[in-house]
Amino acid sequence: MRSLTMWARLKSPWVLHFNSGACNGCDIEVVALLTPRYDVERFGIKLEPSPRHADVLLTTGTVTKQCVQRLKRIYDQMPEPKFVVAIGACACSGGVFKDNYTVFGGVDKVVPVNAYIPGCPPKPEAIIDGVVKLLGSLESSESEAKPNASA
Amino acid sequence: MQRKIGIAGNLLADQLGKATIQTEPTLNRNIIKNLLETDDEACIIALTGLDLGENIGLMYHIRTKGLVVTVRTEVPKNDPKIATITDIIPGAGFHEREAADLLGVSFEGHPNLRRLVLPEDWPQGLYPLRKDAKLEGMPSAIGAANCTTQPEMKVQESQTDSRLVNIIVGPQHPALLEPEKFSLKVDGETVVDVEPRIGYVHRGVEKAAEQRTYLQDVYLIERICGICNSCHALTFVGAVEKILKTEVPNRANYIRTIILELNRLHSHLLLLGHAGLEIGYEALFQYMWRDREPIMDLTELLTGNRVISSSMTIGGVRRDLREEDVPKVKTQLSVLRKKMDFYRSLYEKEPSLKMRTQNVGVLSKEDAIRLCVVGPVARASGVKTDVRKDEPYAAYGEIPFKSITRTEGDTYARLLIRLDEITESINIIEYALDHMPSGPYRVRVPRIVVAGEAINRVEAPRGELFHYVKSNGTAYPERVKVRTPTFANLPSFLKTAIGGSIADVPANFVSLDPCFSCTDR
Repeated sequence: MRSLTMWARLKSPWVLHFNSGACNGCDIEVVALLTPRYDVERFGIKLEPSPRHADVLLTTGTVTKQCVQRLKRIYDQMPEPKFVVAIGACACSGGVFKDNYTVFGGVDKVVPVNAYIPGCPPKPEAIIDGVVKLLGSLESSESEAKPNASA
Repeated sequence: MQRKIGIAGNLLADQLGKATIQTEPTLNRNIIKNLLETDDEACIIALTGLDLGENIGLMYHIRTKGLVVTVRTEVPKNDPKIATITDIIPGAGFHEREAADLLGVSFEGHPNLRRLVLPEDWPQGLYPLRKDAKLEGMPSAIGAANCTTQPEMKVQESQTDSRLVNIIVGPQHPALLEPEKFSLKVDGETVVDVEPRIGYVHRGVEKAAEQRTYLQDVYLIERICGICNSCHALTFVGAVEKILKTEVPNRANYIRTIILELNRLHSHLLLLGHAGLEIGYEALFQYMWRDREPIMDLTELLTGNRVISSSMTIGGVRRDLREEDVPKVKTQLSVLRKKMDFYRSLYEKEPSLKMRTQNVGVLSKEDAIRLCVVGPVARASGVKTDVRKDEPYAAYGEIPFKSITRTEGDTYARLLIRLDEITESINIIEYALDHMPSGPYRVRVPRIVVAGEAINRVEAPRGELFHYVKSNGTAYPERVKVRTPTFANLPSFLKTAIGGSIADVPANFVSLDPCFSCTDR
C-alpha cells in the first residue's frame, strides 16, 4: 500500500502555490508553468486550491512579518509527507529585501525547505528542473529505504 | 487659478510639477478645495509625507488639467494634526491612512483611520518612515516564536443582523495570486460590504531606498512589482535625472519606449488571460498565455531577462538595441497582431463572455473622478487620463498613438480597453523601431546627486505611476515616495462590489488589474 501511495505522490505531485510577500515575478513564472509552452501537467503536477490536498508547497517571495503566521498555518494544514520548494532569491534568503523592517527573511526561517531554486525570477525551465530534482531525490531515497519493495 | 487660490499661498514653479503652493496647515483645506474646482476631472494623485526634523512635511500632489500642482504644508512633529480632505475628495482616504500609519500624522475627521500597511500587532508609536526610527529598533519577529493565531482585524460589527454572512477571502486563496484579505458581508447572494486588509506584501521599500545608493535603488525599486518592473525603474530614474538635469540621449528614449510597451503588452495579455480564469473560461487563459510567451522571448532578447528586465539606468539604458534583433521583433509582433483580431472578435461575439462581464461592477464617471482612479479603470468610465498624452516622457511626444476611452464603466469596458491597447502598443513599437535615432544610448552621471527634489509620472499598464525623490547632496536619497496605480484604484472596487452578486466579485476584481505587491510596497 505504501509503495502505491508513494508512486502516486511521485508520479503526480499536487502543488499549492503561496505567495508570502513576493513581487509577483516568481509567481507569474510559476503560473506560466501551467500554460501550453511549459505544461507541467504532463508530469502530473496539478495546482490545488487547498493546503489539505497538496503534497508540495511552492512558496515565492520573502516572508513578511504579516505572513509568518499564515505560512506556518498553511504548512501545518498540509498532510504528511509534505515538501516545500522555495522559489526565487527572496524565498531562499530574503533577496533584495533582506533586513527591511517588515521582512522576516527566507522561507527556511519559518518552515523546513526541501529544495531551493535561486533566480530573480528563475526561468520556468529552472523551476521544472528544481521540482524534477526533488522528485528524483525522493524516488532514490524511497528505493534505498525499501530495497525489497516491488515497484 | 491664482485668483481662486488667493494670496494665502505662494506659487512657485519648479520640478515639483507645474506649480507648488506653500501654505499653513489651517489653510490647506481651502486651497485644495479651490484647486479641485479648477477642473472637472481634477483629483488627488498622492500624499507624500516626509520627516523634516522638527516638522513633518505633507505634500498633496493634485492633478488638474492633466498637470500636477503640489500643495505643501508642515505640521509639528510633537503634535502632528491636520484636517482631513476626504469629505472634499473621497479618493484621499487611503493616502491619509498610509501617512497616519507610517509617519504618525493624525487626520482629524477621517472616517476610518485604521492601519493600512503595517501588521496589526506593530507597536503603537513606532513610525518607520521617521528618521529616528532606526532599523535596529524595529521589532524582529512578530509572534513568530509562538505561531498561534494572531488577533486578526475585526470587521466593524455595527450591524447585528444575523442574516448577513461574513465571507473571508484570503490571504491564501485559489483565485488570488497574492496574499490579501477581503471580508465580504453578503445578504443572500448580494454583497453588502467589503472590507479589505492589505499590507501582507509590505516590505518597507521606501525606507530601504534611503539606505541604498541611487544606483542600488534602481534594482530595489524595479522589484516592487515584477509585472510592471520597467515602469517603476523608469519613473525612479526619470525623477533622479530631473534632479541632475541630465539630458538623456534620444536613442535611449526610443529604446525605453520599446521596453515599456513590451511591458504593457505582456501585462495586458497576462491580465486578460487571468480574467478568463476568473470568469471561468480557462481555455481563454491558456490561449492568452500561450500568445504571451513570444513577448517574454522578445524581452529576453532585448534585455537579457524574461521578467525583470533591469534595462533602465540613470542616464539612459544599459544595453543598446542590435540591428539584427529588429526583424525578429517585427515578425513576432505581426503574428500577435493577427491573433488580436481573433480575440477581439471573441470578445464581441461570445455570449457567455459578454454575459459575465457586461454591466458588472459599473463605475460611473463621477465616482471615478471622486475616487481618483487611474489607468484603464478610469478610461473605461470616460475619464481621459493618460500620462503619455498629458505629460509625454521618453519618446511618446514624437510617436503618434491613440489613447483609448470608453464610457460604459463596466468590467467589459475595462477588459476591452486593454485589448485595444495591445494593438496600439504594437503600433507604437513598430513606429519606434522604424524611426530609431542613432547616437549614444547612455550618458554618465555623477554618483553623488545634488540636493533637490523631483516628481515623475509614467503610464504603467495599470495606470499612472508616481514617484517623488528628494536628495540631500549625498549618494543616498533622503526620501523616495511611490504611489502605485492599484493603490489609487482599490477604493473603486470597494464601491463597485457593493450591490452586486457575490458570483460577480472575481470578474469585477480582476478587471481592476490589482497588483498588491505594488500597493503594499
